[in-house]
Amino acid sequence: MGRYIVSRLVRWIPSVFILLLLVYALVYFGAGDPIKLIFLQAPGDVAYDPARVEAIREAAGLNRPFLVQFWDYVVNVAQGNFGNSLVSGRSVNSMIAAAVPVTLKIGLSAIVIVSLVGIVLGVIAALNQNKWLDNLIVGFALVIWGIPVFVAGPLIIVFMVLVLNLNVPYGWAGLFDTKVIVPLLVLGLNPMALIIRQARAGVLEVLSEDYVRTARAKGIPNYQVVMRHIMRPVLTPVVSQIGLLVIATLNNSILIEKVFGLPGLGRMTETAIKSSDYPVILAIVLIFSIVVMASNLLVDISYPLLDPRAAAKKTEDE
Amino acid sequence: MKDFRKYLMIGLAAAALSTAVPAWADQVLNIAHPALEQSWSPLQGGGHVGRWQSLWWAAPMYFDKDGKLTPYVLSSATHDGSFKTWTLAIDPKAVFSDGSKITAEDLVGTWNLCARPATKHARVNLFLGDVEGFSDVVLGKAKDMTGLSVAGDGTVTVKLAVPDPIFDQKIATALIPPVKISQAVDDSGAEKTDWWRPENGVVVSGPFMPESMDLDQGIVTMVPNPNFFGPKPKLEKVVITTVSDPITATLMLKRGEMDAATELITPTIIQDLGADFLDGPPLAKGQQFWFDISKPPMDDINVRKALTMSVNSQELALAAFPEGPFTAAGQILNKVPGVDPDFPNYPFDPEAAKAALAASKYKDGGHLPKIMFVGISTPTHEAAAQYVAEQWRKILGIQGTEMKPAIETYAGPDQKSVQVFRDDVGTRVPDAVSYLMGAIHSGSGNALNKMGGYKNEEVDKLLEEAAAKGVDDPDRVGFAQKAQRLFREDWMYIPYYYDVMSKWAMPWVQNFDKNDDWQVIEPWNVTIDEEKRP
Repeated sequence: MGRYIVSRLVRWIPSVFILLLLVYALVYFGAGDPIKLIFLQAPGDVAYDPARVEAIREAAGLNRPFLVQFWDYVVNVAQGNFGNSLVSGRSVNSMIAAAVPVTLKIGLSAIVIVSLVGIVLGVIAALNQNKWLDNLIVGFALVIWGIPVFVAGPLIIVFMVLVLNLNVPYGWAGLFDTKVIVPLLVLGLNPMALIIRQARAGVLEVLSEDYVRTARAKGIPNYQVVMRHIMRPVLTPVVSQIGLLVIATLNNSILIEKVFGLPGLGRMTETAIKSSDYPVILAIVLIFSIVVMASNLLVDISYPLLDPRAAAKKTEDE
Repeated sequence: MKDFRKYLMIGLAAAALSTAVPAWADQVLNIAHPALEQSWSPLQGGGHVGRWQSLWWAAPMYFDKDGKLTPYVLSSATHDGSFKTWTLAIDPKAVFSDGSKITAEDLVGTWNLCARPATKHARVNLFLGDVEGFSDVVLGKAKDMTGLSVAGDGTVTVKLAVPDPIFDQKIATALIPPVKISQAVDDSGAEKTDWWRPENGVVVSGPFMPESMDLDQGIVTMVPNPNFFGPKPKLEKVVITTVSDPITATLMLKRGEMDAATELITPTIIQDLGADFLDGPPLAKGQQFWFDISKPPMDDINVRKALTMSVNSQELALAAFPEGPFTAAGQILNKVPGVDPDFPNYPFDPEAAKAALAASKYKDGGHLPKIMFVGISTPTHEAAAQYVAEQWRKILGIQGTEMKPAIETYAGPDQKSVQVFRDDVGTRVPDAVSYLMGAIHSGSGNALNKMGGYKNEEVDKLLEEAAAKGVDDPDRVGFAQKAQRLFREDWMYIPYYYDVMSKWAMPWVQNFDKNDDWQVIEPWNVTIDEEKRP
């Protein structure tokens, strides 16, 4: 297992390098000149002067060849230095250090809640297949799957303010503040549908297995059959969705953090993209990709723990 | 008994005092800010941060509500008659929040710092562009402008490269406020990182001073500056909170959780927050659709005539803003002294438009290349551009039109073939010449970038002559009007609408007038009428 993890970690290095190169090239050649944007984004009679823009680019070291700039960037990143924002001059490290905990706290909480609630609902639906409860849960999953987060977020706020006459749950005062409930709910709604459907399908598949029938024939109480014999094999396909959940959560955080004023990576992403602030964009991409790769690795590692057959196959492969 | 009477008197006095407390007691102004700002440096020269600059920085001078040039940090700005040498006197009462005097060194140092490329000040050209040595500093060839010098205690001499009768008006802006230069600049002459943060001990000159700046949360709070040299501010606190989502911001304003917004544009803003929210005094700024004459078919004046005359400017403005408050545009000039009362607006004449197109080298709409718009960045501009395209289709038979968002964000393959730019032109000083120099002179960014290098030598000559005339010389306005009429004959634009300086504040925010720099004119007068707040 140790060798497996190390080999996976080593494979990350070229992946991250290629990713950085691609994103750097995309931002450098395609997203617009950040210095030009400083002038053009300011409305009104802006004094845009190409010669001056060039002088500013020179002062910021942005007129050097692409590869030179990229290599400098990679060397700095390898030393743990993400550089400074092109727009504000602020250290990207300090910006990231403040934003990562917020996104992580919200994202992980959403994933845990979504997984727990989703699995329970999926199992209940499967155990009541084709009954009203199953239809209700499947219907609910379909509805929340169909509502994109950029619609759900504003809709819930409008409902809270205009119908329930409540204040907008805005800002960040820690994970255990009541203001977090609504963003967590919105962040989790969409991925929850995925878990419900996966858990339901998994349980239905296992229910017809011989060992489940045997366990029931032996007179084991239903809840014990579910917990001991059904849940474990069902968890494997569900856990495999965690990687997808992480991606969905990170993507959705961009909008959720904007709508609810959460000071995380998502809101920072939006601001950085708008101003083509590529040191910030690249740092966020790097962190997002490492989080996704790490979650995939964790999923891979967890398979053998949940399913001994996977452990045996892995041993054979090694 | 004696004690009882004493306590009664104290109680009555306290009660009387409590009723005498003015309406603005315990007042906090909450502002919704649309972007998560990482820099609140006062030397950026614009952007959303720049719009709140007058809260915490005192401008050299400012225009009051009636457009009157008013002393502030500078007690006077006088010229030598040639308009090339100006003497600026700093008010001896002008101090920073730590009580230290604002000095001539601070003013000169700040302006030099603004001009240096690494500072990235977005508008310094507009204010100090004519100072001797400016070009060298702005291009990184020198550190200081040769035309700026400390003439004595509290006095600065400014030498200009060309005569400028309105230099005093140009520097009447909070976008180049003198800062305590020893705090802002490092040994290499570059702006220090984060020097403007309260935790770094920044001293300010405006009516409010920053109390805290949480850049990660996007919350800035300001409290009254106890050493402010102007009138005492009536607000107790100003809280600027980043609310990026316009729907959230609208709801917070509606509930009274927020009182004002830095900028808020949604298609239903008037229905949601009332017309008063968006309304304000007219601004010396107008929106137009500009033709780029370097791109076919706009190189043919008959095509430009046809395109212009097939659009009804009243309907165009209504298409974008059915409920106002903006008004349809005609001539370029708006609000400034010198608006031409007899200016002949472009006619809406479908028959003449058809005839003009027939006289062009393309003969009819079917032979025109695809016409691409850019700057169609909001739903309102989209509605307007669609109206224009529909008029062209109905009247001229033009089928091929395409609309793109703002040019700075549009990087598609057709970028180089954009022929129509939706953009504004305007001025921040009440001067017709300055307005037109930035709009139609061949050296302006508008002529170079939006009109494809438009140049009419007669227009240039008239404007250059007008610029050298004194403010009170009738030829200054006369020449400008003549230049504008000559420009009209080149058919370079479709008039769209004139802007107003939107208040972007709820009705309970009082005395929230803003100037053409988007600054609250006299922040010390702002109050909140608590009775009107939900």
